[in-house]
Amino acid sequence: MFRILFAIVAGLVGAALLHIVIILALPQFTGKDAYSRVLGLFEMDSFFSLTNEPGATGLANEDPYLRVAVCAFSVNNGPTRFVARGRVPFWSFAVYDENSNEVFSMNDQTAVNGNLDLVVATPIQLVELRKTPAEALSQSILVQMSGEDGYAVLRALAPTPSYEETARNFLTESSCQTLRP
Amino acid sequence: MFRVPLLIALALSITFGVGILSTVSALKATVGFGAIALGPWIAFPNAQTADTDPYAKAHRARAGKLLYGGAEGLQFTATTDDSGETLNTACSYEISGLTPPARFWTLYTTTPTDMPLKATPDLPGGLNAWTVLRKADTSFVIHVSTTARPDNWIAVPRIGAFKLVLTLLDTPAAGSSGVIDLSMPKIVRTGCGNV
Repeated sequence: MFRILFAIVAGLVGAALLHIVIILALPQFTGKDAYSRVLGLFEMDSFFSLTNEPGATGLANEDPYLRVAVCAFSVNNGPTRFVARGRVPFWSFAVYDENSNEVFSMNDQTAVNGNLDLVVATPIQLVELRKTPAEALSQSILVQMSGEDGYAVLRALAPTPSYEETARNFLTESSCQTLRP
Repeated sequence: MFRVPLLIALALSITFGVGILSTVSALKATVGFGAIALGPWIAFPNAQTADTDPYAKAHRARAGKLLYGGAEGLQFTATTDDSGETLNTACSYEISGLTPPARFWTLYTTTPTDMPLKATPDLPGGLNAWTVLRKADTSFVIHVSTTARPDNWIAVPRIGAFKLVLTLLDTPAAGSSGVIDLSMPKIVRTGCGNV
C-alpha cells in the first residue's frame, strides 16, 4: 500500500517537472510560431501582403479593417531599412526578433512626416552608421537589435471598402531591404 | 514478482499522463499571466514582450499570431457577456457604451478557436470607429445577432459559441498605466431563440 502511494507521489512530482520542462522548451520546437510562419512565406527582403483567407503558413488578415504585410529580415549582412510612404488613415509597424519578442513598435503619429523610414541594425552597425551619417538616412529612425534575425509587421487601416485599394497600395509599395553601404 | 515494474509503470504513466494533459489544458485555458480584465473584456498588454511569463511565450509560440506591439494597439477579447454567460449565436446581444480613448477601434467576431467569422460577404461582419452610428453623446449601441437589426448590426452565422474582439489602435491603454480605471462597453444579452 505504502509503495503504491510512493509511486503515485513520485509520478506527480515527475508530472510537475515535465510540465515545467514542456512549458519552457515549447517555444523552441513548435514550428508554428509567428517567426517560422513568416519565414515559411519565402519572402526575404520584401513585404509580403497577407490575404484575407489563411495562406500557406496560416497567416491572414484577421481584422476585417486592417491589411497586414510581413517581412522576414536578417541584419547579418548589414542594417535593414524599412520604408513606406502614402496616405492611409492609420498605419502601424512593429519589429520582432526570432523569438517573437517585440523589439520596436510605432505608428503614423510617432513617425517623421507620417512616413515610415526606419533602420534596424546591430549595436556595431549602429556605431558605424552614426560615425558616417549618410544624407539619405538623415530622417531615419535608428533601432538597435541584439539578435540578427527577426520579422517586421506593417498594418494599414481600411475603415471602409473604398480605402481598400489605398491600404493595399501602401503595403505593396513599402520596402524592407538590406542597406548597402 | 511483477510488483516493482508495475509500480514504475504506474509512476511513469502518471508522470506523462498528468504532465502532458496539464500542460495542454493550461495552454488552452489562458494566454498567460498579466491579463487586464475589464468586465468580460480581457487583454494581455505584455504578451508580445520579452519579459512576459513562460506560459505566454509557450502560448504565443503555439498560436503563431502576429501580436500587436505596444505602440500599435491593444486587443481585447470577450467570451462571455456581462453576467458571465458564454456568448452564443443562439442569442442576441447588445454592446453599449464607449471604448477607452484610442485613435481608432475595430470590433469583429471569431470562433472560440480565434478564426474570424464571416457571415456572408453581403452582411456586416464587423464595425469600426468610423462606421458605427452614434448617439448625440457619442456613445453607441451595437446589436450582435443572426437576424437583421436596425442601427448598428453585426451579423453572426449560427455556429454556437463565439468571441468578440475589440482592437484599440494607438491607445494609451496599451501603456497599461491606469488601465484598470478604463470603462469598456457593456455586453448585455437581449434574448434567445427567435425573438
